[in-house]
Amino acid sequence: MAQVKFFATLRDITGKREMEIKNVKNVAELLQHLYEMFGDEFRKEIEERNMILVNGKNILDLDGYETKIKEKDEISIFPPAGGG
Amino acid sequence: MYGYWGKILRVNLSTGEIKTEEFGEDFVKKWLGTRGFGIHYLLKEMDSKVDPLSEENKMIFSTGALTGTTAPTGGRYMVITKSPLTGYIAMANSGGFFGAELKMAGWDAIIVEGKSNKPVYLRIEDDKVEIKDASHVWGKRVGETERILTEEFGDKHVQIASIGPAGENLVKFAAIMNNGHRAAGRGGVGAVMGSKKLKAIVVRGHKRVEVIDRSKFISVVREKTEKLKNDPVAGSGLPSFGTAVLVNIINQNGLYPTMNFRYGQFKYAEEQSGEAMAKKYLKRNKPCYACPIGCGRVNDMDTVGETEGPEYESTWAMGANLGINDLASIIEANHLCDDLGLDTISTGGTLATAMELYDKGLLKQDDLGDAPPFRWGNTEVLHYYISKLAKREGFGDVLAEGGYRLAEKYGCVDCFMGVKKQELPAYDPRGAEGHGLGYATDNRGGDHIKAYLISPEILGYPYKMDPHDISDEKVKMLILFQDLTAVIDAAGMCVFTTFGLGADDYRDLLNAAFGFNLSTEEWLKIGEKIWNAERLFNLKAGLKPLEEDTLPKRLTDEPMPEGPNKGHVVRLKEMVPRYYALRGWNEDGSISEAKLKELGLEEYI
Ligand code: SF4
Repeated sequence: MAQVKFFATLRDITGKREMEIKNVKNVAELLQHLYEMFGDEFRKEIEERNMILVNGKNILDLDGYETKIKEKDEISIFPPAGGG
Repeated sequence: MYGYWGKILRVNLSTGEIKTEEFGEDFVKKWLGTRGFGIHYLLKEMDSKVDPLSEENKMIFSTGALTGTTAPTGGRYMVITKSPLTGYIAMANSGGFFGAELKMAGWDAIIVEGKSNKPVYLRIEDDKVEIKDASHVWGKRVGETERILTEEFGDKHVQIASIGPAGENLVKFAAIMNNGHRAAGRGGVGAVMGSKKLKAIVVRGHKRVEVIDRSKFISVVREKTEKLKNDPVAGSGLPSFGTAVLVNIINQNGLYPTMNFRYGQFKYAEEQSGEAMAKKYLKRNKPCYACPIGCGRVNDMDTVGETEGPEYESTWAMGANLGINDLASIIEANHLCDDLGLDTISTGGTLATAMELYDKGLLKQDDLGDAPPFRWGNTEVLHYYISKLAKREGFGDVLAEGGYRLAEKYGCVDCFMGVKKQELPAYDPRGAEGHGLGYATDNRGGDHIKAYLISPEILGYPYKMDPHDISDEKVKMLILFQDLTAVIDAAGMCVFTTFGLGADDYRDLLNAAFGFNLSTEEWLKIGEKIWNAERLFNLKAGLKPLEEDTLPKRLTDEPMPEGPNKGHVVRLKEMVPRYYALRGWNEDGSISEAKLKELGLEEYI
């Protein structure tokens, strides 16, 4: 079972801060699953740009959407964000 | 001339003399504005070795090329002087409305020289400039000072840049404030103003800043503003959550400095996040002049009423870095810093140094008497010591010297987390090594805003770079960021526009305002010149590059103990020589003759 955490606007869209998820191989599968669960609003918010971390590491520095998800992994999903 | 008036106001506070000087288009093509103008005058007119708090130090308050126009975020000004904190160049940037008003009064910049022997303020109403007595506001906080001077002027549209008690008492990290909560914050520029006994600059202008071709300019502005509005960060992320949206991002990425940079994640980050702030306290967002982004927060608190901020940096400085999790205390502390006229990053960094010394047993309760103990997470520390240090009372007098001098006094320089005696901001570079090189080589010491490599390394702008890659590509990206930021600063725009705009967009705006036809590379060359000129100032002031272009030992020698960056340090020694080489500098970090010549800086040596 992996843990998924939502941030910023995604919390209002999903109504959640975090949830558990089973039986997903990689990030692509996870997103597919979340799109089905939370619909177009969620998809639109992160489809083009986002920040997805697996155990604190950005998937762009790992294997992108192919990054594997294992038991007990923590996945953090952010809409595009910045500051300074 | 367009964009500027070509007019500089020179005020000598020792003699009371007020003069007007002129400049032409060549000067703009050479130095662009703000930092560029400032460094030109400092190098030309002042010995870099002067005591920063003496009569010899000069202060330049300068607008930028697009300040006062309708360019998005074109309202900024900078204060350029020699820093009492670092002993090197200070160039502090502020938003709000002061910069635009100064330009609308018909002045592009003010050079303040000498030192008054009694408190004064500068009153500017278009061409009419007077030095006025300020003894009735001396000792007053920023909010009250603004209220009294506005009333005295009799026009609520007046704009004021002032210092609080911290600046008057020469606190080494005192800020200059405008619009209550906007700060030219870093490097102790407020102390320089205090040393000159200049309490405030009050300005009201009625002129319209002209550009060469108004309709062309408006169409370029429209295009760039649209771009910003459609960008998910500039158009929606920053307005909704402010900069504090970064708390969770940086914490999840494992580089949120916790307890004086001991750790990279804070257990209670969620409680002080932008999300939490928006839910609990946010009333509305508040933009600076001509800003379509509006990252500023207006929060409502029972204790202090309506206040602004805290930004990401201040939230962290008063929070995680001290092990403090209570958001209400953090917001109050931020309000207090603004009102006393203090830089929040250095205030927090200095308190964190004290906590580290206390924890190590080097600073003892006996040294503090009845005052609150510097224990991690002790919220009492905030209000008590911030008030004391602004007045230099009791142990506050030691704190007012900043973290470096505090650490030195108690025999543990390594307890200080800063660069060139300035406290570091809210990113542990063991989780973003290029950003660490940025800290080490920043002309104004520990600082993030003059080359924000967090953008590519963490946030993925303009594209994602591995935070642990230290190749030449990374070093070149840092150099590009340093030069481009100098251009954005000198243009009088806000660096947050970089989330939606690229180098070509700034070129378009500048060319449209002035009718120039410079390429992006030519504008960037001006940025490079500014960076090198500031470096030249530091070298002349006595900078020892190989010793001082560095980071605290904790970041280069002690691996991150936990989290996503566990085991990492900043491999600074591997980057610095390549940085020098790629800058075209000598191996010892000095600027090569060839580079000085290429940039036209020989006349400043
Ligand atoms: S983005 Fe924020 S700091 Fe920058 S100009 Fe706009 S409101 Fe001011």
